[in-house]
Amino acid sequence: MGAPALASRTYDVDDIFAAQELYHSNGWTDGLPVVPPTSETVGACLDWAGMPPDQLVGIEPVRERPITAEKLAINAVMAGCLPMHFPVVVAAWTAMLEKDFLLHGASASTGGSAVLLVLNGPIRQEIGTSGGFNALGSSDRATSVIGRALRLTLINQLDVRPGEIDRSTFGHPGKFSYCIAEDEEGTEWNSLAEERGVPKEISAVTVMAAGAPRQIMNEWTTEPEEILETFAAEIRANMRGYSIWPGNYAVVIPPQLREHLQSAGWSKSDVAQCIFERARIHRREWANVGKGKVVRDRGDTEYPAMESPDQLMVIAAGGPAGGFGMVIPPWLGHKSHAVTLPIGACVDCGPIPLGEAPAAQA
Amino acid sequence: MIQVLDPTHEAKPAGVQRAARMPSLAGKNVAFVSNGKEGTVGFFKHMDALLRAELGVASTELLVKSNYSAPADAHIMEGLHAYDAVVTGLGD
Repeated sequence: MGAPALASRTYDVDDIFAAQELYHSNGWTDGLPVVPPTSETVGACLDWAGMPPDQLVGIEPVRERPITAEKLAINAVMAGCLPMHFPVVVAAWTAMLEKDFLLHGASASTGGSAVLLVLNGPIRQEIGTSGGFNALGSSDRATSVIGRALRLTLINQLDVRPGEIDRSTFGHPGKFSYCIAEDEEGTEWNSLAEERGVPKEISAVTVMAAGAPRQIMNEWTTEPEEILETFAAEIRANMRGYSIWPGNYAVVIPPQLREHLQSAGWSKSDVAQCIFERARIHRREWANVGKGKVVRDRGDTEYPAMESPDQLMVIAAGGPAGGFGMVIPPWLGHKSHAVTLPIGACVDCGPIPLGEAPAAQA
Repeated sequence: MIQVLDPTHEAKPAGVQRAARMPSLAGKNVAFVSNGKEGTVGFFKHMDALLRAELGVASTELLVKSNYSAPADAHIMEGLHAYDAVVTGLGD
């Protein structure tokens, strides 16, 4: 495929430093340096994914703004993506544009969520991701730049800039990049995507409007119920201090704790069932954290963190040592739902392999 | 020299015009579109009192969205034609 004809406006700059100033001064960045997107680098991304520049990735349903492959590729290049990363960015944005994800609300809310992206399947190894050390930080190049590409596209395609569409009171560091590759080789468990209906041999993305991760630690037991009670307690704390509404919580479980759970024969479903039963509070508990005025006459009403066990997303990731764990709360669980989609490159039908795996939403 | 690309949507502003300013709210019927959050009840109650006492508004009606993070429901949007003015755009 030759260089595709791009429709975007072009700017001539003297050098890479002048390019930085052009992008920063126009509010087109997240504050960090960007890779200047040229016709060649953007064309290479489109070529890799087999997408013409004007292919519609989707339409943001609230503001009805179309997202084209060309604009997505420009922002992906700026984030540092290589062409082989681009199909992941396309799949993630396709998922984010599903109505149930409620992208506009999630990106505009004072609640300040970020888009958490969980990557599954063979593509993780093909593009060099790591679900080990520092899994929720800068664990590897691929997850860092893919997560960043989602944010830069939000900024430039939907004007999700602080004080414009983005009305976050605080936001959190995941807004720079929030992407995890699951450690599928390090676990006997099904992958997250498998649990959500995608066959193991197919690569997939799961996106979730997510708050900042909350770290727990329990290195003093091997009993599954005790380990998972620590996760459930953190979820209950989030329900009291932040939001009582149920939805897609995620828990990230590292090898040291997985070993105990797997040795006891616990599957991801068993983990989810246990946490589902324990992660619930009564409304009267709000009075314990200074929110007594909104308990009203519903103090005895019980609120579960998830409407059903399968709303809990259990993710295997993290470095080999440490009895830690992460709870990732939803932004607004009963309004925005996580979306899982297979990754593909289909010019006419979009990235979903038709008839193989429908979108999985909980 | 490097030629770089515009990352934005490059959309032109929609060609809409503001409605003509009403000379007075006296005797008018005003709708409040609430996002449904906790603090809006007191806010709109106070606004109702102010509009009636200071501007002579005849009536107000509170319309509450079903989802505070999504656009107003279709039935709310369709019903707004029945009012002389609408107050919306409330944050938290």
